[in-house]
Amino acid sequence: MKFTANTRIGIACGIAASIFTVFSARLIHLHVAKHEEYSRLAAQKHLTRQVIHAKRGMILDRNGEILVTNLPVRTMFADSSRIKKPEALAALVATYLGLDETEVLEKFSTGKKYIVLKREVPEETALALLNEMQKQKLRGIFTEQDAVRIYPNGEVLGHVLGFLNHEGKAVQGIELSMNSQLEGKDGYRFIERDRTGREIVLYRGIEEEPEHGNNVRLTIDMGLQSIVEEELDAAYKDLKPETANAVLVDPKTGAILAMACRPCFNPNEPGKAQPDQMKNRAIIDMVEPGSTFKIVVAAGALNEGKVDEKTTIFCENGRFAYGGRILKDHHGYGHMGVHEILVKSSNIGSAKMALMMGGDKFYEYVRRFGFGERLGVELPGEIPGLVHPPARWDKLTITRMPMGHSIAVTPLQITMGMAVIANGGQLMAPRIVQSVEKETGEILVKKEPTIMRNVVPKKTAHFVSEALVGVTEPGGTAAFARVNGFQVAGKTGTAQKVSPHGGYAAGKYVVSFVGFMPAEDPKFVLLVMVDDAKIASNLNYGGLVAAPIFSRIAERAARYMDLTPTMPPIPLQPAPIASTPTTEKRSN
Amino acid sequence: MNTELTTPINSNPIQIGKILCVSTIVGILLAVGLGFVYIKNLQFAIGEQIRHTERKIQQVRAENEVLLAKVTELTSRPALQARVKSGYIAVVNITGDKIARLTPPVQATEVGTLRTAFNEFGQQ
Repeated sequence: MKFTANTRIGIACGIAASIFTVFSARLIHLHVAKHEEYSRLAAQKHLTRQVIHAKRGMILDRNGEILVTNLPVRTMFADSSRIKKPEALAALVATYLGLDETEVLEKFSTGKKYIVLKREVPEETALALLNEMQKQKLRGIFTEQDAVRIYPNGEVLGHVLGFLNHEGKAVQGIELSMNSQLEGKDGYRFIERDRTGREIVLYRGIEEEPEHGNNVRLTIDMGLQSIVEEELDAAYKDLKPETANAVLVDPKTGAILAMACRPCFNPNEPGKAQPDQMKNRAIIDMVEPGSTFKIVVAAGALNEGKVDEKTTIFCENGRFAYGGRILKDHHGYGHMGVHEILVKSSNIGSAKMALMMGGDKFYEYVRRFGFGERLGVELPGEIPGLVHPPARWDKLTITRMPMGHSIAVTPLQITMGMAVIANGGQLMAPRIVQSVEKETGEILVKKEPTIMRNVVPKKTAHFVSEALVGVTEPGGTAAFARVNGFQVAGKTGTAQKVSPHGGYAAGKYVVSFVGFMPAEDPKFVLLVMVDDAKIASNLNYGGLVAAPIFSRIAERAARYMDLTPTMPPIPLQPAPIASTPTTEKRSN
Repeated sequence: MNTELTTPINSNPIQIGKILCVSTIVGILLAVGLGFVYIKNLQFAIGEQIRHTERKIQQVRAENEVLLAKVTELTSRPALQARVKSGYIAVVNITGDKIARLTPPVQATEVGTLRTAFNEFGQQ
């Protein structure tokens, strides 16, 4: 069969057209149908996702004093695919970063594109290294911006602030509880690099700005915190107790003005601290409160009408047989009113008031004062304490609990319990975060004072408050808590330490004093608690150990807060511990 | 012999118009191409400048933050207290007459009494 010229031309053209059609179809398929897939593959090959780190927010005190800030540092890493002179580069890197040259060279030989050489390199060192590399025309080392947390006050407030671990994760304190506000959100940018590893700005891809973390302003006043820390530190050195705590609260707002614990740790060097040093004992330690708890039964009995201002209770001359056991007072008392029971800290009087109320009512007041529940302070790990319901009480519990035994509470709960009396019967929610602010200072969240509940009426609180003034007057259990120029109300507490092996540890006491000042218009409530002070057992009382610390802190706090004295000056008193004579029966 | 110079009937005349047209198109394409390359280069150069400027800004910010952190550390309470103790700086009391008060404070008058919570110097 013979084809004509035209036929041959037609066939050739047809074949060519078919080939082009197939190619075109494939091209369209690749460009249209497979566009997404291949774009992604190409992007994976050429693009790098560069993380733009968000700046972590600062933590400030109520006056704007910086408590936690960031120090910019760099993470130095190598891309071995871009290194041309590994030996020279290793020598330079080893010199500037203080690394072993052989190890650096080994890392370069792995062929990896991301080899971290050193983290937390100071800015100056990183810049000096990069400049030297430029001079010597070396390449292959890159940096990433990073930051380390700085706690300029060191150990001061360490328990409250918390710290970040080596991975930058918040571990405890405000750092942990307010982490969502502080951390911010990292941004990113897709970039392409040229053969020398430099970014080609022209081919920048999608980018998202980082959202920097917000600043957190605390209710803490660093002026007061320093006073508390100094005095607690001095007491810790003198008395060598196992632990010591102090909590300073504004009773009208529930704002925590200062909070300190000993032993303490430096959040700049958390690795050097023992776990025991890191505990914020004000919220995670359970203690038997001792006689400070008597305010609960007194307020409850008054409010329930079981006693009034004129009622007298027979205190059995110091020996009260109940439930097959003898309950003792440190002195034998006869008939006493509620006022005197508090001033003299009578165990028997308190127990009898609880018996008048009945277990269920007494338990109700214990709970209304905030014991046995988490108070919701913005700190992680707060415990509720241990308050058994009446169904689980034994026969003696009703006589032991009013004097602060058979119950475990946190130091913060004791402080807030006293704040109920100082605040006219209202329990305020304790708070340590005042506001959350943007970097620019714009307030995002402002925490207002919150009333948790009305525990007792104003009249009852006022009566208890007046009795508590008597505690610090001559004849009371805490005359050493007095502050010149001011009326102080408060209550001592001395409780034998619970032994981890069961029962009580012989000769070990948790002593405390919780009070407020000025009594007529309280500006602060302060708790001082000292656990197992190393002094003679006949001197280890709340009124002799904790009350003088309270007095020193309160006096300095009054000066700091510029409180106007309302009382005439009192005569100079001898030093409490040195002057205290002989033995006393324990239970103040 | 025919010596007369005449244009052959089948020869192609030079079509100036078309040449000009094609040249113009080629010229324009050339200019566009060169312009494209120039602009691309310019973009790269500007990109490089942007990168440098960004790096400088980043460096200045980092240096600023480093300095702020140092200032914070040096002016922290423990640092200042250490300086007070070493005698490098001294704390001067503010006398009472320099403090505006809404209510007059109670003054300690007896000898051997504890100081009250206000500054007595202002009363002297």
